[in-house]
Amino acid sequence: MKTPKIRFDKVTKRYGELTVLDSLDLDIAPGEVVAVIGPSGSGKTTVLRVLMTLERINEGVIWIDGEPMNRMRQGDALVPASQAHVRKLRSKIGMVFQSFNLFPHMTVLGNCIEAPIHSLGLPRAEAEARAEGLLAKVGLADKRNHYPSQLSGGQQQRVAIARALAMQPEILLFDEPTSALDPEMVGEVLEVIRELARTHSYTMLLVTHQMGFAREVADRVCFFEGGKFVEQGEPNAFFTQPQSPRAAQFLSKVLQAG
Amino acid sequence: MNTVRISALVGAIAFLVGLAFATFSELKVFLPALLKGLVVTLQVAGLSFVLFLFCSLLAALGRTSANLALRFAAGIYVEIFRGTSLLVQLFWLFFVLPEFGVVLTPMTAAVLGMGLNFGAYGAEVVRGAILSVPRGQTEACIALNMPEWKRLFRIVLPQAFAIMVPGMTNLTIELVKATAMVSAVTLVDITSAAVKQNLIHYRTVEIFLITMLLYYCLCQVVRYGSKLLEVRVSRYRGALN
Repeated sequence: MKTPKIRFDKVTKRYGELTVLDSLDLDIAPGEVVAVIGPSGSGKTTVLRVLMTLERINEGVIWIDGEPMNRMRQGDALVPASQAHVRKLRSKIGMVFQSFNLFPHMTVLGNCIEAPIHSLGLPRAEAEARAEGLLAKVGLADKRNHYPSQLSGGQQQRVAIARALAMQPEILLFDEPTSALDPEMVGEVLEVIRELARTHSYTMLLVTHQMGFAREVADRVCFFEGGKFVEQGEPNAFFTQPQSPRAAQFLSKVLQAG
Repeated sequence: MNTVRISALVGAIAFLVGLAFATFSELKVFLPALLKGLVVTLQVAGLSFVLFLFCSLLAALGRTSANLALRFAAGIYVEIFRGTSLLVQLFWLFFVLPEFGVVLTPMTAAVLGMGLNFGAYGAEVVRGAILSVPRGQTEACIALNMPEWKRLFRIVLPQAFAIMVPGMTNLTIELVKATAMVSAVTLVDITSAAVKQNLIHYRTVEIFLITMLLYYCLCQVVRYGSKLLEVRVSRYRGALN
């Protein structure tokens, strides 16, 4: 088998007494789009957060392209990773947050060129050209000089997607990207993500409550509960004939609700 | 009828002008001394303001740092300078340090004392502002792989700055007025000059009225400056309105 793009190897994350990720295993192939679904508060988001290094894990190893991320090789042993090692691997990952987290004191364009200039060291002109291309792609070229507070939620989230893409990541993480949006704005954001999944080779990991969307864009659906993936499978099979009673119960509830 | 009114008005004005003239006739006797005091007050206030900002920022960064030693050192600084009296700190700098062979000029002692003292209060204002920048901003920086110091200076501090302006303005106004304490280290500032002139000329009302006005004007300058700054740094926040 090819080296997985992302591998979780017995990853455990605890908050005090509470175990959120319980010896979690997961392999994601390059270019695969994986949707993580499950009940609220089950810790699905934590799967993305530990991968983005926003949280430390207690046990296990996360691998990116066959390289350990929270560890590094020293001879045959794996030792805790240095800051430089983490930064190197982290540069392959981009993340889109539920609450956008745009920089409010910078314009739309400023948001999109900030990290390319100050993290990648790109010249300003090149960063701007790249950012403008991406803003056009998410349909916001005319908003380049606006501040985030002047945009709707859907527009802000599209800027956040452009900002993440400007770093040219190979892996994209979406953490409930439409949960903070008014219903009429969900569509425009999903359309952008759908387009990315269809036309690019990004490896995508998507936490979502939009079952229809997960079914449509994902190559695989993972049902997460109690710190583990209880069931995973091809979307159509999973949504029509879930194997585990828990997944079946969950699906009947959310699909009923509509 | 009109002429009566006009002459009454003119008379009243002439009376008030005469009264003011009589009251302030000796203005030129003590005013130069007060203005000299004003220059000293401005020097102390200006220099200690710079030190105050520097100490506030440095100590706040220390107290919010991940490094235990830095947090501890900054915490000790804040506790010492906030927990003891400014007047006693000035006495220490000017009268006690020479016992250990460190001799400071009155101006140096005054600026150090004021700057360090107010810096301890300012550190808490700045720390509060830094902590009130949403956690999501830091997380976005991590996700964008920004180096830690750029995260601080380009993302967190600019947003904290808008939050800290009102609190720091309060402290700056307080600092301007607290310069009245520096007579303790033999500097002749406005207040000290006023006390001296009063002993010589006994024009108590005029001297202290003018002294009060001078402080009031200084504080108005601070207030106005702060207002301009606040509009500037928080423009993005009001962009929607």
